[in-house]
Amino acid sequence: MFDPEVGKGVEAFHPTHDTNTGISNTKLAMWLFLGSECLLFGGLITTYLVYKYPLPGQGPGPQDVFDIPFTSASSFVLLMSSLTMVLAVSAIERGDHHRLRAWLVATALLGSAFVAGQVYEFTAFYNEGLGFTTSRFSSAFYGLTGFHGVHVTVGIIMLVSMLLLSLRGKLPEHKAESVEIVGLYWHFVDLVWILIFAVVYLIP
Amino acid sequence: MTVTDAPLELTSGDEPPRRTLGVFARPTASTGWRSWFTSVDHKKIGVMYGATALFFFIIGGVEALLIRAQLWAPRGTLLNADQYNQVFTMHGTTMIFLVVMPIGAAFANYLMPLQIGARDVAFPRINAFSFWAFLAGGIFLNSSWFLGGGADGGWFMYAPNSTVTFSPSNGIDFWNIGLLITGIASLTGAVNLIVTVLNMRAPGMTLMKMPVFTWMTLVSQFLLLFAIPVLTSAQFLLLFDRNFDAAFFDVAKGGQPLLWEHLFWIFGHPEVYLMILPAFGLVSDILPVFSRKPIFGYTFIVFSGVAIGFMGWGVWAHHMFVSGIGPVSVLVFSLATMFIAVPTGVKILNWTATMVGGKIKLTAPMLFCIGLITMFTIGGLSGVTHSVAPADTQQTDTYYIVAHFHYVLFGGAFFGFMAGFYFYWPKVFGYLLNEKLGKANFWLMFVGFNLTFGPMHVLGLQGMSRRIYTYDAGYGFEFWNRLATIGAFLLASSIALFIFNIFYSKSKAKNLPNPGPDPWDARTIEWMIPSPTPVYNFDPVPTVERLDDFWYRKYGETEDGRLVRIASTEEVTQSAEGEHNVHLPSPSYWPLVAAIGLPIIGWGLIFTWWLCLIGGLLTAGALYAWALEPPDDPEAGHDHHPHEGSAPEGEVAVSDAETDEAGADREVETVG
Amino acid sequence: MKRFNSTLGRIAIVASLVLFVVLWVGMVVAGVTGGETEYQLTTLQPQGPFSTLIDNLVAPVFIIAGVVFVGVLGAIFYIIMKYREKGDPELDLTPMPKQTHGHTAAEITWTAIPAAILAVVAVLTAVTILDLSAEEPDSVQVEVFGQQWWWGYRYDVNNDGRFDSDSDVETSTELVIPVGRPVQLSVTSNDVIHSFWIPALNGKRDAVPGMVSPWKLQADEPGVYRGQCTEFCGLSHANMRMLVRAIPAEDFDRWVADQQKPAPEPVTEAEKAGLSEWKNNCGSCHLIDGVNNQQLAENPAALVSGIAPNLTHLMSRGTFAGSIYNLHYPNKVGNDQPFGATCTRDTLADCGDPADVALAGNPDNPVYRPALEAWLRNAPAMKPMAPDQGRGMPNLGLTQDQIDVIVAYLETLK
Repeated sequence: MFDPEVGKGVEAFHPTHDTNTGISNTKLAMWLFLGSECLLFGGLITTYLVYKYPLPGQGPGPQDVFDIPFTSASSFVLLMSSLTMVLAVSAIERGDHHRLRAWLVATALLGSAFVAGQVYEFTAFYNEGLGFTTSRFSSAFYGLTGFHGVHVTVGIIMLVSMLLLSLRGKLPEHKAESVEIVGLYWHFVDLVWILIFAVVYLIP
Repeated sequence: MTVTDAPLELTSGDEPPRRTLGVFARPTASTGWRSWFTSVDHKKIGVMYGATALFFFIIGGVEALLIRAQLWAPRGTLLNADQYNQVFTMHGTTMIFLVVMPIGAAFANYLMPLQIGARDVAFPRINAFSFWAFLAGGIFLNSSWFLGGGADGGWFMYAPNSTVTFSPSNGIDFWNIGLLITGIASLTGAVNLIVTVLNMRAPGMTLMKMPVFTWMTLVSQFLLLFAIPVLTSAQFLLLFDRNFDAAFFDVAKGGQPLLWEHLFWIFGHPEVYLMILPAFGLVSDILPVFSRKPIFGYTFIVFSGVAIGFMGWGVWAHHMFVSGIGPVSVLVFSLATMFIAVPTGVKILNWTATMVGGKIKLTAPMLFCIGLITMFTIGGLSGVTHSVAPADTQQTDTYYIVAHFHYVLFGGAFFGFMAGFYFYWPKVFGYLLNEKLGKANFWLMFVGFNLTFGPMHVLGLQGMSRRIYTYDAGYGFEFWNRLATIGAFLLASSIALFIFNIFYSKSKAKNLPNPGPDPWDARTIEWMIPSPTPVYNFDPVPTVERLDDFWYRKYGETEDGRLVRIASTEEVTQSAEGEHNVHLPSPSYWPLVAAIGLPIIGWGLIFTWWLCLIGGLLTAGALYAWALEPPDDPEAGHDHHPHEGSAPEGEVAVSDAETDEAGADREVETVG
Repeated sequence: MKRFNSTLGRIAIVASLVLFVVLWVGMVVAGVTGGETEYQLTTLQPQGPFSTLIDNLVAPVFIIAGVVFVGVLGAIFYIIMKYREKGDPELDLTPMPKQTHGHTAAEITWTAIPAAILAVVAVLTAVTILDLSAEEPDSVQVEVFGQQWWWGYRYDVNNDGRFDSDSDVETSTELVIPVGRPVQLSVTSNDVIHSFWIPALNGKRDAVPGMVSPWKLQADEPGVYRGQCTEFCGLSHANMRMLVRAIPAEDFDRWVADQQKPAPEPVTEAEKAGLSEWKNNCGSCHLIDGVNNQQLAENPAALVSGIAPNLTHLMSRGTFAGSIYNLHYPNKVGNDQPFGATCTRDTLADCGDPADVALAGNPDNPVYRPALEAWLRNAPAMKPMAPDQGRGMPNLGLTQDQIDVIVAYLETLK
């Protein structure tokens, strides 16, 4: 392994711009950040699993408040936003700025619809007597889904920023990667929701 | 938040004269005290990490002396129970989060880019932000002393003792929010450093040619990347409980205290390894220099570090052997913990084997390395004794554990850092620390350290509990406590000697020649460049051919392993003379401003909401300004865009053009 | 001067190393012999089968660790002495050392050997863990509950699996157990996490609120065994101690029978006045069985943990306030018989020093009034507590007359 010849072939590396892994710094950073986020959600999902049911007599439990069809619909909306996100990335890679903007708008709108659904859902639950402090279940539920909702909201802000950049002509094709990176985040948030939806709403 | 920065740029060769002004004609940018506030240079940031950590080390050290003074005799009256609880909580928190971790970060920031031949880290402004956020978190945490008292729940902050019912003062809020802020710093730092190691190595430097310190930085930053969010999730729960009345740890509502314990230690145990690994890395790089032999079993050293990194995730519940997790869990975690001793033992034996047959120069850094190996061995062995779970039921939460982890973290990590300070001081500051004082420093620290923490083994086995502000005569505690207190003050005087040495050596250095690039006849490429490191690091960036590349530029090896000088040091080192037209990222105010907003939000959460608003606006505004600011020149328009058509080589020109565009219109993603 | 400096330096180095060796030898000596002295919290002198089990497991581990410790440190010292650069490096003409990069067989060896040693330890550990967690037949069932900052005990006397039947017994601060019979503990907490630990009898077990953890004790000999809360539990964590009185089985049965009795009626005027003062000042938190059960059931104590120590048989205990003060005069040094008077009011000199809390008060000796009176006068001054937050006993502002009659009444609570 100490063969001095080994290094020679590497001269072919461009000394400045290419990264050793071939993945750009920014994209690699996003991947790492998302890896870290997995553990953050992991902690909150674990908490929810431990606190899935309130103690008897301490307010409504999951089966009392959940409206599965409604949440399924809003989950579907969020899932569809991943599709539009893919289309946005593919549009900028083709250099189709109009479609890019259209799909960014679509993604942001679908995301907003999901957040709106969550706000509606929270309001409905609150009216049924499930406050944040009511029980361990309510704290864990609002904590986990609310935290996810904040992530979606941040994603929407990122999408709108991309849209504004594009409208100002500051998002040329060769920077398609920044849209792709926003897309990575967006898909991650969607994926996490699938997990949360399954754990919180579907698994009894 | 993740803000993208352009890849760093190197342009070599002659440039038009105006170009030289690009970096060096901005005095406010690279010199003077103001430059430190806006610098994005990994070296300045590394130095600031180190200086800040040493400052907090003094605070944490004073807290330690208060603890030891209180325990000098039975029924001590220096501190009352409440004060004592605050002092030991803040001592632990300070030493872990504001001293050992940031010293690791200091070395990682300063050294790692040099060891891999990089111009800077991957995201220089995020690097600056990481530092300022760490400092902001540290100041926030310690501001509690002036705003109603420090946290009083122990650094592990077990719920429900940490909930409002049992700790109604704001101390724990300061702890919680302060560590969330330093957590942001750690997380952004970890992402940054990992990307740097993975992506920005000099040509030819494959992973298995990296110096061990860089390897250990990589492993420990991965640990940080995955450990911090677990603590963050637990801290959210505590934050919601304390500040918004949630029911996570309210036992009356079915809250589970063990949930906090699990989450905390899933963070807490990898944390232990991420504190020790950078010091292991330093020792692995310094030991061969003064043994004049390559590290023995580089591959094993590296992979045992990686193994520790992985296994560190599977042993957290050994902190909970007595918590009632059930015999099966105890069994599993007990066995897992025993076997993590194996890779650690491999490291110790490899270091020992490195010295065998060498020609050992007992310099101050070498002494500290040997100190680490021996003291860590003791800490490791006591660790094995409490991996035996039934034994741990007698030992846990006694002074035996206090002895154990101080042997690991002070005898291990801190001795390694001291070795690093003495070794790298000339590279960083351009003058050597006085060797005689350095050796005296080592022996004083060695004696003080053993006198402080050695007796704690006996105290623990004789049944002295941890975290007690008072004890009674007649239990056999008096003598050993007295010894430990004497030791603590000796230890403090050794730190004072170190600080004296810094200033003494600096004053003497005026009359001495520059130590040159390579004062120790060292092995790794950071010793190729002038001391102190020039702002641009390498020019040109070397092509790395093998492990210890710099060494093998100086020496050849015959078939039977004898060394032959093949070049003089002067021939293979780089000179500071001449022009170095290296394009560097430009300073920025915004990382600092963004970080300042964070503690203001924190004070707002505790005292009054409108401070949250101010802090939030400050941070958000700074991030916005950051986003709009070109990464590589704050004096927009002045002498900028020098590359257009002027780059000497086509290859570079292409990349320059790319960067310029990237610079002209920065895009920013705000994430999380 | 240079020579002088280097001699001085050498002396300092040798002195440091000698100090290091002396310290460690001293510590090992203390570790080996320390258990044989009278240190009541030591983990090194097991007094029951469970602590002996632990001791038998850990002793060889300590020996192995000691051998490795001496071996590694000795080897490093030898290597340094042998391979260090001697003399003036400027004049040193010896060639650079042979360059070795590693040795795979050696690596595998020193990976395998520690792993093999640890495998043996692992097997022994596994066996001991299972032994220690096994249920003991014919054991005394006791619920142990921790609060800030004292311990309470409930005995399941009739073995119905509950700790609150009529015939069951509740006491606090001191745990009384029969010698030679296993005691099965159900450890829990009423507020924060504490940890129950009698080093001489077994390791520790956390008392976690909302959770009941099994643990067990057994003493081979009659005696007094001390403990200390070992999970940080807030302000007075240091003052939360435990005390176990192990007594012969027949004495234990008599003790249980005594504890089952309700408190006696006051007889003298002072005692009667004391009872009424007690009801007014103490009865809203403390319970004396047969006196204020009704009152407390209707108005539970305004305490975070729900209750204050049960005082029904206060005078059957030798210590109070988390065992940090002596309620009675202790025996003389060296006599750790848990019960049986060793002095009277007239022969106090036959007792030990009551201010020395390393000597446990003996319930059959005279009451040590100064500590009790000081406690009634201003409890938070005697032990840091947070009464304003419902955690601990407040300063009741009692007059000396009130204190006198209350003490007179309390003295009847045998």
